[in-house]
This record gives sequence, structure tokens and C-alpha cells, in this order.
Amino acid sequence: METRIKSKVFEQFSEATSTLLNPVLKDWKKQGGKIVGYFCSTVPEELITAAGLAPFRMRATGSTSTEQSDAYYSSINCSFPRHCFNLALTGEFEFLDGVICVNSCDHVRRIFDNWKRFVPGTPFIEVMSLPRKTEAAQVAWFRDEINLLRGKLEKHFGVKISDAKLWKAIKLHNETRRLQKKLYELRKQEKPPITGAESLAVMVAGTAMPKAQYNNMLRALLDELSGIEGPGDHRARLMIVGGILDDPAYVKVIEDQGGLIVTDSNCFGTRNMWIEVNESLKDPAEALARWYVAERPSCPRFYGEHDNRTKYVINMCREFKCDGVIAERLLFCDSWLVEHYMLGQDLKAVGIPMLKLDREYITGAVGQLRTRVQAFLETMGR
Amino acid sequence: MALVDKHPELSRYLSEFEWFKFLREQTMALSEIPEMQLQVKTIDSLLSMYSRIIDAVEKKKPFLASYYCLAPEIYTAMGLPYYMVMQTPFLASSVPYLLQDIDGAEEMGLGNDLCTAIRLAIYYVEANLSPLPTCALNLLYPCDGAPLLHEVLKRNERWRNIPMFAPDPPYYADDRSLHYFAGELRKMVKFIEKHTGRKLELDELKKAIDNSNTMFGLWDEYNQLRRNVPSPHGWGIGGPQCFSQAWVYQAGTPEGVDWFKKLVEIAELNVKAGIGPVPEEKIRLFWFDLLPFGWVFEFLPWLESEWGAVIVMDMFANFPYTMIDTSSEEQMWLGLAKRNLFDSPMVRQARGVADNFANDIRRIVKDYKIDVVIWPGHMGHKDGSATVGIMRETCRDLNVPFIHLGLDLFDKRYSTPDQIKDKISQFFRAMGLG
Repeated sequence: METRIKSKVFEQFSEATSTLLNPVLKDWKKQGGKIVGYFCSTVPEELITAAGLAPFRMRATGSTSTEQSDAYYSSINCSFPRHCFNLALTGEFEFLDGVICVNSCDHVRRIFDNWKRFVPGTPFIEVMSLPRKTEAAQVAWFRDEINLLRGKLEKHFGVKISDAKLWKAIKLHNETRRLQKKLYELRKQEKPPITGAESLAVMVAGTAMPKAQYNNMLRALLDELSGIEGPGDHRARLMIVGGILDDPAYVKVIEDQGGLIVTDSNCFGTRNMWIEVNESLKDPAEALARWYVAERPSCPRFYGEHDNRTKYVINMCREFKCDGVIAERLLFCDSWLVEHYMLGQDLKAVGIPMLKLDREYITGAVGQLRTRVQAFLETMGR
Repeated sequence: MALVDKHPELSRYLSEFEWFKFLREQTMALSEIPEMQLQVKTIDSLLSMYSRIIDAVEKKKPFLASYYCLAPEIYTAMGLPYYMVMQTPFLASSVPYLLQDIDGAEEMGLGNDLCTAIRLAIYYVEANLSPLPTCALNLLYPCDGAPLLHEVLKRNERWRNIPMFAPDPPYYADDRSLHYFAGELRKMVKFIEKHTGRKLELDELKKAIDNSNTMFGLWDEYNQLRRNVPSPHGWGIGGPQCFSQAWVYQAGTPEGVDWFKKLVEIAELNVKAGIGPVPEEKIRLFWFDLLPFGWVFEFLPWLESEWGAVIVMDMFANFPYTMIDTSSEEQMWLGLAKRNLFDSPMVRQARGVADNFANDIRRIVKDYKIDVVIWPGHMGHKDGSATVGIMRETCRDLNVPFIHLGLDLFDKRYSTPDQIKDKISQFFRAMGLG
């Protein structure tokens, strides 16, 4: 399936997704704006926005090698941090004014340790302690984490992050969530006007520019897409479930076989926006902590939530009329391996077919991927 | 009706019991070497632990599934036996069916890049080969694999109705984290009390901690003896046995104290006589992980006989040995939190930021006159393998050779013993050692 959207704003999103320092960020920098990179969607980017900084979700887009980072990581480590750290060592992230890490997984959390020691010149680098559980004590812990980071950002960047500013940022980010949800609503149509690969480009772009500007652009795109029908030439409607998938080209390979991705549960997708941060609480840090730890759809990083995650996938499949699920994971990712092991059994019990795919961060082995997807669609009788 | 027919979940457990009984009677008990006699005591304590679990299952008495780094002194104080869901890979991977079970895990759909210890434990749970406890204390650290294993437990149809509690680990090692984790341990005790009907008496806890403090003190004393050249012991006795006594089989018991006293006594005699595990100690090694328990006999004796290379220290043998202050209840909780979260082996390195990988190397290389640091690079230890650059740089600063092997501690088919021997031999030669 070819990209069908002929739109200037989509081209901008697409460019933002296929580069690191995109034109919007370049302009931001030119105007004296600062950019803070963050690893993992559990870092509250609202805090970065509230500090008057542009949040940038770390990716290794464009990386072709792990030659330098291989001295620090090993062959049993996930290719995402290896590529990211390679780019850090080669200076590709010099546009960042700070980096915030989190103990998200065994591979990514070590970026903090390695970066701190071996990448000189990053003026601000911090790590957050994310709980494993989702109970009240853990929300309270993470609320304190947010406030501690808030203080560090204030001190380093010489800004004041008042409650009012934080609420303003939360509202802005919630607006992003609402707009993105509208985009997903379009994908519920029988003939969606946007493919899964295109949607992913729109979502990734949202993590690579200031939210106010992104929201304006997304509004424009939604206007362009409203009332439009896609060709509807797909063989099956699919949901994709996994971790950090930021490459639309990977999704396109699946869609080129006729498997249209209509929804997802992944790091750049619905887990970030299906539910909004509660704006009715008194304390904005508490509202963020509740959302990041307990309220939003979780990933397998959180313990005790598997049943809820399965329910979420099944509900999304029903809501988006999916014929099956693609479960993708980066090689050596323990979290998604075990999650998919359990999810496969859960979905089998309710009659939803699932295909497990292992991949490297940089899309390759396309032939094998094509064959696997074709076989999957055929098994589904599509 | 045979016990295993009535309780199929005990079948592996019973096999392990028989296996260790066989090892004890057919090999160790026949030797008069003091170290081997102490090994017999080690096995006796293991068999006693297995017996208590089997007895508890049979007579429907309360017992726990838990971990060494979840304050086992508490269970001792409450008179509750415990076993580790990851027990086979940790403590019993010499069993003859290990490879068959690893294959079973792979066939189950668990792939081959998840830590074999975790895969095996998942396999045992899913295949109904793990004893079903009264309640389970689940582990959420030090790696990604641990919480995932326990997520499987929560979902498993035979386990899902078993009450479970998992203390949440903070990522830092500061005072705030200490108080937070101490709070989690207190909740854990309330949970155990509720589900086992046993009450934790503080006097009993104090007794168990006092015993445990004595054990850790003796362990430290023993380690001081290993600083000697030659080291009084190599891989054959030391870290793993001390670990099994202090953290698992005899945590907080007077029998554990006796075991450690005997160990120190034997080591002292060796030091006085200038005896080590090999006639001539040529290379002193720091093996920075668990020993390769799945194929230990095919590899470690070779290190000593071929190269005179002695494992003087390993990851499970050396940590800060901080004594727990028992002067008040508050201090006991904080002490338990510190020991289990900040000090306990593997957890101290892998749970939080990477500082302890570097700090431990610095400390141990200096204290134990280490000639080579070996990072085995177990296929499951992904955080450690992402720290390999930090370890290498640390060793470079110390001017001590460092080698990263790449193996599976339990599955000898991942990198064969011959491949590892070859790699090590080439390295030793290149470094002009031995």
C-alpha cells in the first residue's frame, strides 16, 4: 500500500519522523529555545514543556551502525540503546540541552550510566526511578520523583515551574491526546483515510517538536483528512502490539502485504493518549504521577497489570474491528517476550489470531518479514 | 498413593531431593577432607530445607515461595520454611535433567534469549513442577526477568489464587529509597501474617538477625582469609556455599552460625599451612557473576589444573556485610532494607545505577590481589552486559586484564566448555599469564 496522503503538513510530520533535528526544532533552537531528550514514554514530558523546553523523545533514526557503542554494550543487548548510544558518541545528539533517563528496562537504563561517563558535554543528565507496581504508594513515590525532577530542571535551566505552568502544560498535552485520538477515530472507518505507517509518522512527529506547534499542525491534517475515504484495498485489519516502534517503513512492509494496521498498543501509540491526565485534581504532580504509573494503559514494565493489558488489547481489537494482532518485539527484550507469550495464549482463548515478530531496531530482513506476514494473512483466510 | 501422584507439582522437587541425597551419600560423605565434610553439612542443610517444604505440602502446613533478597530472617523468625521459585537454576542446576527442562521451556514458546534461570522457573510453574506455596513473595528486581516471571505466576491457573505480595524496589541507594523499601518490607510482613496465621514476634526477629549478623561477620572473616596468597580455597568451596547458608538454607539460624565457624576454622588451617586448592597458584581471578552452575565440573577444575588459575572471589561471595542494628524495631527494618536491597549479591550490582559494577571491581581487585577480572557475560544478564564498557574502563584504570566471555551459566550448549576454555587460554597467553 502506497502513501496516499498528499498534504504539506503530513510531509512535515514525515520529515520530523525520518530525521532527528527536524526543521521545526531547528527553528526552535534558532530562536533560543532549548531541547531536552527523554528516554521512554514514562518520563513526564509535560514537565519539560512546563519548563519552557521542547521535549524530544529519544530515537536513533538514521543510525546505520553500532560500531562505537559496541565497546560499551554487548551483542545480547537490544539494538535500540546500542544505536542511540552510538549516535550519542558520534555527536548526533549535540543539539540536546539535556537528557532524562528512566529505569525503564535493563538495556535502556544503562544509557544513563554510559552517557554520564562517556559522552562529555551534555549539560543536564538525570535518571528517574520508576516504580514497578501501580498502587497508591508507588503513585506517591513517583509524585515525589516528579517534584524532584521539577526542582532540578528549575535549578539547571533557571526557570520556575509553578503549578499554574504545569497545569497549562498538562492541558496542552491533553489537547494533543484528544487530537491524536481523533486521528485514530478516522482509522475505525471501513476505508480509513490514513494507513498505519502514516499514522505512526504523525505520532512520532508529536514527540519531536513543541506541543503547541504540533497541535496546530495536527488540527490542519485532521481537517484535510475529514470526509476522505481510503481505498479500502486491504486484506485484513490488524492491531500492532509492542514496544518502541518508531519506523513507519516497518509498518509499511506489513501493510504492503495487505495487513492494514488500524490501531496499536505501543510506545508511540495509544498507550500515550487513549486516556487523558485528570485535570480535576489539586496537585498537578499528583495528576501526572497517577497517569504515568496507574491510569494509562500500561506496558509490561509494570508488574501485576497483565490482565488489564490483555483486556485493553481485546477491547481495542473489538473497537477497531481487527482481524488479528501483530505482536512485535525488539530482539533481547525480555519484557515483551514474556508479555507476548502470555498475550498469545489469552488471544487464542478468545479467537483472535496473533503473529509474533522479532526485529532489530533498524528495519532489515524485509523479505522474511513479508513472508511471515503473508503466511499470517493466509492462515487467517485473508 | 505415592506423594508425587498426589502432588505432581512436587515431582522435580522430589527428584532434586533424591539427587542431592545421592551426591551426599555416594561422593561427599566418602571423603575425609575437611572441606568435603563441610560440603556434607551444606547438603544436609539443603536436604533439611527440601524436607520441610515436602512435609509442609503433605501436611498442609504454611510455607512460602520467596527469595534470598527478600529478608529471609523474617521467615526464620516466623518459623516458615521457604523455597525459591528460581531454586533449580540457582542451587540445583547440577541435576541431570537440566538441559531437557531448558528445551521444554523453549518449546513452550519462551525463545532462547531470555535468561535461562527465568525461562526454567517459568517452565516449572507453567508445567506444574513447582510446589504451590501458602503465599508467594514475588521479586521485582534486580532485572526485567524477575517481575516477568512473577507476572506469569499471577496469571497461571494453579497459582493465580495463591496470595502474592511483591515489595517495590526504588532505583537509587539513598535514604529516601531505604525508608521506602523498609515500608514495603513492613507491608510484606503484614501480608505474611494475614495469609499464614503466623505472627512475627520482634524478639524472634532480633534473634534471627543476631544469628545472621554473626554469620555475615564470619563470612567477612573468611573472606579476609581468602586475601592470602595462596588463597585457602578456590571455586570448590566459598561464595556459593556461604550464600546458600546465609541467605537460603540457614538464614538466621544457630546451625548456620556453626557452619560458618567451621568454614573459618578450615580456612585458617589452610592459611597457616600455606595450602591452596592447587599446588601452585599462578593466576588469581575475580569471577564477576554466579559460577557456571550448569556445567561447573566441566570447566572450573580445568581452570585450576591447566592454568593454576584460582577463583579467589566471585559476585556472590563479596558484599559490604553491613551489620543490622537490632537496638530498635525501626533500625531493624532499615537494616533489613539495606541488606536486601543495597547489599545483597547480584541485586547490589544489577538493580540500580551501574556504580557498584565499577566500585566492586575496584575494591576486590585491590583487596584480593586479583590478576584477571572475568565478566562471564551470562546471556540473561543484560544490564551487566550493557555495563561492559564501564567494567573494562575500570579495569584499564587499575591496570588489570579484563575479559568478557559470553556464555550461559546453565546451558553448556550456548558456548561450549571447550569454546570457553579456548577463549580463556588465548587470553591468558596473550596477557602473558600462567
